Amino acid sequence: MRFISLAFKNLWRRPMRSALTVAGVSLAVMVTVSLSGFILGYKRAINESIDKLGFQVMIMAKGCPYEAATMMLKGGTGLLYLPEEVYDQVRKDPGVESITPVFIGVAEKEAGGIGESASKSYTVVTGIEAKTFAAMKSWLTFATGRGFDGSRWFLPDAEDEVVMGYEAATYEQRKVGDEFYLSVVPSGRTEAVMRKFKVVGVLARTGSQDDGTVFMPYRTAQKVFGRPARLTIVGIKLKDFTGPMVQQFSERWVKLPEVQVVGMEQVKSTLVMLVSAAQVMLTAVAVIAVVVATIGVVNTILMSVYERTGEIGIMKAIGASRSDIFQLIWLETLAVCALGAVAGCVIAVLGARLVERGIQTLLDIGIRGSIVKITPEVLGAATAGTIVVGFFAGLYPAWRAASMRPVEAIREGID
Amino acid sequence: MGFSVADVIIQARGLKRYYRRGIETVKALDGVDVDLRVGEMVSILGPSGSGKTTLVNLLSGLDAPTEGTLSIAGRQVAGLSEDQLADVRRGTMGFVFQKFYLLPTLTVAENVELPLMFCRRPAGRAATMGVLRQVGLEDRASHFPRELSGGQMQRVAIARALIVEPKILIADEPTGNLDSQNGEAIFALVRSLVASRSLTVIVTTHNLRLGYLSDRVLTLQDGKIVKEEPGSPVTATR
Repeated sequence: MRFISLAFKNLWRRPMRSALTVAGVSLAVMVTVSLSGFILGYKRAINESIDKLGFQVMIMAKGCPYEAATMMLKGGTGLLYLPEEVYDQVRKDPGVESITPVFIGVAEKEAGGIGESASKSYTVVTGIEAKTFAAMKSWLTFATGRGFDGSRWFLPDAEDEVVMGYEAATYEQRKVGDEFYLSVVPSGRTEAVMRKFKVVGVLARTGSQDDGTVFMPYRTAQKVFGRPARLTIVGIKLKDFTGPMVQQFSERWVKLPEVQVVGMEQVKSTLVMLVSAAQVMLTAVAVIAVVVATIGVVNTILMSVYERTGEIGIMKAIGASRSDIFQLIWLETLAVCALGAVAGCVIAVLGARLVERGIQTLLDIGIRGSIVKITPEVLGAATAGTIVVGFFAGLYPAWRAASMRPVEAIREGID
Repeated sequence: MGFSVADVIIQARGLKRYYRRGIETVKALDGVDVDLRVGEMVSILGPSGSGKTTLVNLLSGLDAPTEGTLSIAGRQVAGLSEDQLADVRRGTMGFVFQKFYLLPTLTVAENVELPLMFCRRPAGRAATMGVLRQVGLEDRASHFPRELSGGQMQRVAIARALIVEPKILIADEPTGNLDSQNGEAIFALVRSLVASRSLTVIVTTHNLRLGYLSDRVLTLQDGKIVKEEPGSPVTATR
């Protein structure tokens, strides 16, 4: 027999207590892995979502640039608009590689989506210039399949055509050729105007905010929302996207009244920084879980040591050295932690989608796609960390057991 | 005494063991001289608190004396550290206690093989079955302790003591948890081992009748040997 197998058999002596201790460790590992996966996944999702906006730089009306960026990601009301002439001016800038005007509005849609009640529901409407918009987002393609074949962008100056993102079309149960009704209160008016549109295209899934968007020509959107010659943002790709060039570009155009230039890298880093702030709190939660689990492990092993005082005495009597006993108890602690680590990792991986759904349900964070990313590195670090915790948690019980004098241990066992 | 120095496996001279209990010093053992020979079974008798267990603990190397000299299997043990004492015991001593101390999650065979792990010796199934055969439990090798009677558990404890082929077997109240019939059977088994293995056996008991089945009987009182007399080992083999 080996020490390790004796250690496992000793844990089996009180299966319920050992199982509860392992469960405590696994819970802590699961929390740690899930939170780490969330932080990782969320940062990655922010980066991807912003990258999928397709712009390197945005020009928008003065206001909070991060609020505007978030609006772009998840839609919303209270948007600020800038004059369309800004677009005409900026497109002539020699540093611009490509540029596209975007108008964003929020419209009330007819009820009838999957799971929708009769109460009001809204959708994000994005007015675009199809040619420049599609050029900037080279990954956009039309969905294929029954009901989707024949998809296309709008005809020039079409006033009643919309292209739907994949999720928007699925949710509204629309296909190419269907009608789609939107109700909008145009700027300066108090009554909503119902407009009928024809679905001329459905985009393939992108995993970005575009999936839930209804697109129409930006001039049509301007008319529908009663804001002629106004835009929400101007999206830009620069020929040379380096810090100094972005700086120079920004300085050239920030002089325009009521306009601000926002680099997407800046938005990214700010949003990631906000996540980093939350990371501190989440780390504290994980640390508390780990501390509680560690106390549980120490308590369980220590109780087990006291219960086996007589046995430890007899083991010493028949030749076990201090280091033998230390090793045995230490291995028991490590075994509990290792089992907890494995169980915690498995639960975290299996429950990742559940956690994701929970977060997305509780917090509308405006990020599409997977936001919990559990990598082998995260699992490896969690397992290694738990073993290290076990390494230290086992020191005291192992030392107590090793320090028992055989005579006293046997006598206490008899008493 | 009518034996040669070479036959002596344990020799104690002026053995003392004092304990501190608050401000009081308890003289658990107060100057004991004793020689134990190879292949001899010695009973230590005496009332509770007379120092029986203290003497056995010292003679077995479980504890170190406060004063005096003690030689076990040729090694002086006075002043040795705990790990050095463990080294003296390892492979030399076998132990049987009133409480069996079998590990409940190990089978009978695994319990018997446990000391080999601490001696860093490989466990051979033949040797295990050999000692189990000797204690009459060959057919119980794969059973767990909870499936055994008290007498059987004590036999497993004896087999565990024998697996390392010790020179000395320490049996501290081995019949204390057994009924008289099982107690006698265990005593008879131990007695038979003395002959078959040339074991030196030190046994403590409250049962005077069993105690006198040894070759020699030492009676302790107040930490001193007050009487040393021959036993009646023949009775045991009847």
